[in-house]
Amino acid sequence: MSKNKILSINNVHVEIEGKEIVKGVSLQINSGEKHAIMGKNGSGKSSLANALAGHPNYEITSGTVELDGENLLDKSATERSLAGLFLGFQYPLTIPGVTVANFLRAAIKARNGDGIDIKNFRKVFKEKMKLLKIEDSFATRYLNDGFSGGEKKRLEILQMAMLRPKLAILDETDSGLDIDALKIVANGIMESAPKDGGVILVTHYQRMLDYIKPDMVHIMIDGRIVKTGGAELALELEAGGYDKLETEVSQEVGV
Amino acid sequence: MNTVTMRKNSIDFRGQNRFEPEWLYNIRKESWNYYNDLELPHRSNHLWRYTNAQDLLPNNLEELIKIIPSLPDQSENDSSYGDEDFSGYGYNRSDFMTFARLSHDFEKSGVVFKDLLTASRENEDIVKKHLGQLVGYGFGKFEAMNLALWNTGLFLYVPDNIEIKKPIRLQRHPSGPNTIHRLLVVVGNNSKLTLIDDYSGECRKEEAQSNSAVEIFTGDASNVKYFNTQRLSNSCISYITQRAQISRDAKFVSVFAGIGSKISKFNTGTILNGEGAESKLYGIVFGNENQHFDYHTMHHHTASNSYSDIDFKVVLKDEAKSAATGLIRVEEDALNCQAYQVNRNLLLNEGPKAESIPELEILCDQVQCSHGATVGPIDQDMLFYLMSRGVDYKEAMNIITLGYLEPTIEKFPVELGELTRELLATKMKG
Repeated sequence: MSKNKILSINNVHVEIEGKEIVKGVSLQINSGEKHAIMGKNGSGKSSLANALAGHPNYEITSGTVELDGENLLDKSATERSLAGLFLGFQYPLTIPGVTVANFLRAAIKARNGDGIDIKNFRKVFKEKMKLLKIEDSFATRYLNDGFSGGEKKRLEILQMAMLRPKLAILDETDSGLDIDALKIVANGIMESAPKDGGVILVTHYQRMLDYIKPDMVHIMIDGRIVKTGGAELALELEAGGYDKLETEVSQEVGV
Repeated sequence: MNTVTMRKNSIDFRGQNRFEPEWLYNIRKESWNYYNDLELPHRSNHLWRYTNAQDLLPNNLEELIKIIPSLPDQSENDSSYGDEDFSGYGYNRSDFMTFARLSHDFEKSGVVFKDLLTASRENEDIVKKHLGQLVGYGFGKFEAMNLALWNTGLFLYVPDNIEIKKPIRLQRHPSGPNTIHRLLVVVGNNSKLTLIDDYSGECRKEEAQSNSAVEIFTGDASNVKYFNTQRLSNSCISYITQRAQISRDAKFVSVFAGIGSKISKFNTGTILNGEGAESKLYGIVFGNENQHFDYHTMHHHTASNSYSDIDFKVVLKDEAKSAATGLIRVEEDALNCQAYQVNRNLLLNEGPKAESIPELEILCDQVQCSHGATVGPIDQDMLFYLMSRGVDYKEAMNIITLGYLEPTIEKFPVELGELTRELLATKMKG
């Protein structure tokens, strides 16, 4: 079976307010693959995620990104989403006055136009809520307003499940979750992640990778991917910590 | 300058008002004298910094005096009716068509709902006791004008222990050149009332003025909700002064929406006059094009253990302007009160101007009080969140803006809420 390239990132540099945070990252994800990007806070992994999704504060200064063969970088955040990119937010925003259901309806409508099939929408919505153990009452609550950390993250996965992207970047979806919530979220990701698309799990810890086995693990330090390996790399990292790895890496590059 | 020439004139209100009781004639005369003695408010006067009073003056005061209605012969009162949505229905128009109808559910309840002129004769005691007590001529130039010259009015009286479940709806159509209207509401002890006061319509003449005074008295432990929607066409000039006095253990909720008019000056205030009185005030303003909104809110605590809260949100686009002045006053002997107010202003582009001026006069040292004000654009991260889900920029702005106002709109009765949402959506697009 020949694999399609879902995402090709080639030597991408990202700046925030003139300061370079991501310093040349290349990455390729084939259909059906799950990759983990691991790194400490400030390593640039979230900046890479936000830049790929088109956040206006994260400027990609050089490099190329293709999603399913299409240039992503000349597209707005809206167009990137419609092209099949999904970012699960590390800190999902609260939008008062906008219910979860209306928010999702707007997102679906952006894809299907006014011909949105309300009956089908409701059916899928209910199914996915059940999968993520989200109570029905959430549909009419304001988006993330008064939600716990775990509820917000489950809602991010609900959105992914509804929008069916080609590539999902899940930015620290595991943070702030207790063990039960982590299982639910991980299960939700496994069930509803794009089967023939790709998934990038951006994470600090290895623990979510117990539930979602990545095909590849990339370690980011100071804006660069310094090491790439299989699922076992995450375990190594967990055992030795980032400090050990940093020492190794600096020795390798002779700093 | 009509006012100057009018000033010297001796106005024979009596000539036009053969059917008004003597006391009402006297109030008009006193108010008229007071009106003439008062200077037009200057920009340096409190609450007049942002609006030119000249813009609010009727251009044909002589005409207004001539047309103080002699008799409400165009009015229909007390003809009861059945309506599934409302307990009562009142109508005020600039050609002095006034009518008030009450659901037959209240035929023998003692509830009175009729035009104010008729009430001044038929319900003299109550009207005389209350008229002008909250929005009297001493209030200011335009309030004095109103009390002297009101030409269309409504009176609603709810006796003790009456629950009016469905709202009473008032429609105000100041569609002619000038309309001076008054509303007097007196609610008894332990009674419940929901009142919709809806100002709408196209102004037929360019820059038609509407001057409205609203007085609401609530009895002990009563529960009153008052909804005020101003959605006049953009050629109108709207001036509304509304006061409510809240008695012991009574609850008052007031929700207002300022959507229409070229110039809208709105002064809403609540006097917490009995121990344990509670007042919640929620307001929204949405201005576009060159609209001008000058809004004042006031909570005046004169009794202990009273509670007040104000949440006032403003959205402006194009070249619209808004000034929001919010006064909290707590008297020295009003102990253990709580008073809160927030005014938030959302600017959708570079053109609009918003001012937010909290005023605190706290004379008592046992009080919990807070106030907050913000002015700013839409949060960029919120926009990005929506756009990252495929929603385009314009639609994301729509969703966030209407969402920002939604918690207030939600408090309206269903139909009024729907209407407000539609109006706002249209303004967003325009």
